Amino acid sequence: MKIGIPGGLLYCKYEPFIKTFFNEMGVDVEYSVKSNKEILDLGIRSCVDEACLPMKLFHGHTVKLQKTCDYTVTPRIMKCEFGESICPKFQGLPELVSGGTGKSNQIFTEPLYINNQRKLKKGLKKSCRLIGVSDRKMEKAFCSALENQRNTSFGLNERDYRYKVFLAGHPYNIYDSFANMNLLQKLHDLDVGVITEERVSRYEKTEALTGLIKRPYWLFFINNFAPAMVLIKRKEIDGIIYISSFCCGTDSVIIEMIKNRSKGFPFLVLKLDEQTGEAGYNTRIEAFREVLN
Amino acid sequence: MKITFPHIGDAHLIGRIFFSEIGINIVTPRANTVKGLEKGSEISPDEICLPFKLMIANLIDAYHLGADTVVMPATLGPCRLGEYGELLKSILDCKGYRFQWILIDSPGAIGKKEFLSRLAYLVSESDKSMPVILWALARTYQIIKELENLDEKAHILAGHEKQRGECKKVLASCRRDLAKVTGVREALKNIRYHKSRLDGIEYDFKKRPIRLLLTGEIFSMIEPFANHRIEELLMDMGVSFKKRVTLGWWIRLTLFHPILPWKPLKSKNKYLPYSIGGYAKETVEEGVLCSKKGYDGVIQLFPVGCMPEIVSKAVFSKMMKEKGLSILTVIYDEMGGEAGYITRIEAFTDMLARRKRFEQNQERITFLKRIRGKVHVLSGH
Repeated sequence: MKIGIPGGLLYCKYEPFIKTFFNEMGVDVEYSVKSNKEILDLGIRSCVDEACLPMKLFHGHTVKLQKTCDYTVTPRIMKCEFGESICPKFQGLPELVSGGTGKSNQIFTEPLYINNQRKLKKGLKKSCRLIGVSDRKMEKAFCSALENQRNTSFGLNERDYRYKVFLAGHPYNIYDSFANMNLLQKLHDLDVGVITEERVSRYEKTEALTGLIKRPYWLFFINNFAPAMVLIKRKEIDGIIYISSFCCGTDSVIIEMIKNRSKGFPFLVLKLDEQTGEAGYNTRIEAFREVLN
Repeated sequence: MKITFPHIGDAHLIGRIFFSEIGINIVTPRANTVKGLEKGSEISPDEICLPFKLMIANLIDAYHLGADTVVMPATLGPCRLGEYGELLKSILDCKGYRFQWILIDSPGAIGKKEFLSRLAYLVSESDKSMPVILWALARTYQIIKELENLDEKAHILAGHEKQRGECKKVLASCRRDLAKVTGVREALKNIRYHKSRLDGIEYDFKKRPIRLLLTGEIFSMIEPFANHRIEELLMDMGVSFKKRVTLGWWIRLTLFHPILPWKPLKSKNKYLPYSIGGYAKETVEEGVLCSKKGYDGVIQLFPVGCMPEIVSKAVFSKMMKEKGLSILTVIYDEMGGEAGYITRIEAFTDMLARRKRFEQNQERITFLKRIRGKVHVLSGH
């Protein structure tokens, strides 16, 4: 029995956990390759038309793995580390994938509450039994995977460049160099370094959120809006670049909030969609670089 | 304090009756128009959903009419509705429209105590005593329920009426009169009068019209401007349809259920077993209901970019294959052109009508065959 793990969406964020978890359990696993044109095409064909680019890429990864694997992993993340939710599409991901690809061989579809360790373990256990892993083995793997995830540090903070921008957006857009058309390399060529939200402490983020009439509940609202406010206040950055996928529901709110609060601070919004033409994209980045001067 | 709230279906009618009963003045923004929508789209972000653009236009209109406090419903789901209040405040503050905000969150999110204290603040300017206010509240809920019943009845009877358009006329005149009434009692009387008028229309119950189920995102369902008056369109076509998602349904689901735990829990379905925010799960449940209760088809409505309904669309496509349901998805955006929508809905109903006629014919033929067989047996041939 072979299990396929699609490399889309939040895989980049939970990679240490996933890798150790499956390695320790000793199951036959196939990881998907990095996103490319073929995967995108497969995804566009199978996904609902209205979904965003990362969703389509995830569908592409899944379809590709379905050819060789018996099961594909499709997690249903309900809550993140501190009780934030992500987007309705993440919570309905197994349905979205099985409706789009027409196959219902998804596993790990139990709701995962990452803010609660007991619940998380319970959610994973059911699927582990399905693939024939004993509870004891699973618990051991879970502990070491959790430790590995905690010990890994994420994020970028580049100091060797002339300018520094805050690279906001969702992690699956920031770290997927196919989806963002190699943005990091392009920025480095223009002598621009980036800092990402992981390098702002949780305490500072919470402090920046005071003054809102309601405590925000989206992970990406907290992870983009708050660091932007913190970094502007610290005067550490020269501008903000926001990578957003076309038709993203949460970003439409977040971008507007940052725009309204930052008042005239250099701010570039890059929209990603299925098109792969780079000329317009490059021009906008270069123009933004001129603004920073 | 002058209260206002954006248009959501009949909320302005009912809100006005309730607040005038307890002696608080509210400002009702003018009805949604294309011009208002244009103004709203100008200052709101491009990719936000349609309800936001309509709401922001309503609030600016209300500001010019003298309102200073906004009441907004909010949720803690991952749907965007929960952040509406925040974003509206941020944009309107930038544009110089300063409001005071009261967010009516669901009691599950902010706690029953905070919820009740916010409601208490809402009625703090009333000179009436608490029992009177509670009485008015109960009566207002009764109005919502009765109006809902009237709507439901008219929607079903629309397929049977002899003279097309009579039911539609009754509903329109009921709403017109409700906008003028001053008290709760008068409103109830008015609704009952229109119910009797509905009973007085001539019907042809031998007719078997196609039966549809209307479902989808809640704002598009209950605000007639957002769905290009699809209810009237269907009634004109002589289709009898049912719409479960209404204002009263929303009140029962979000407000009554968390406060009164003995109210029936939401049911489970195997296609989308978990609530994913918004009302996607409920939409899918309607689809399941359609196949159980013998509806001919489902029309799903949602504004472009609605996050939860995209998932339910994917689930519907799976259900169509597995269960053989007929589902039409209509997605609305800011475009005012109605012809395209009308054509698609007409084509859909035509297809269903033809299928129904075919099935009925088939039924008749098998029935005749059976009778003939029996005659043969009786006559001994």
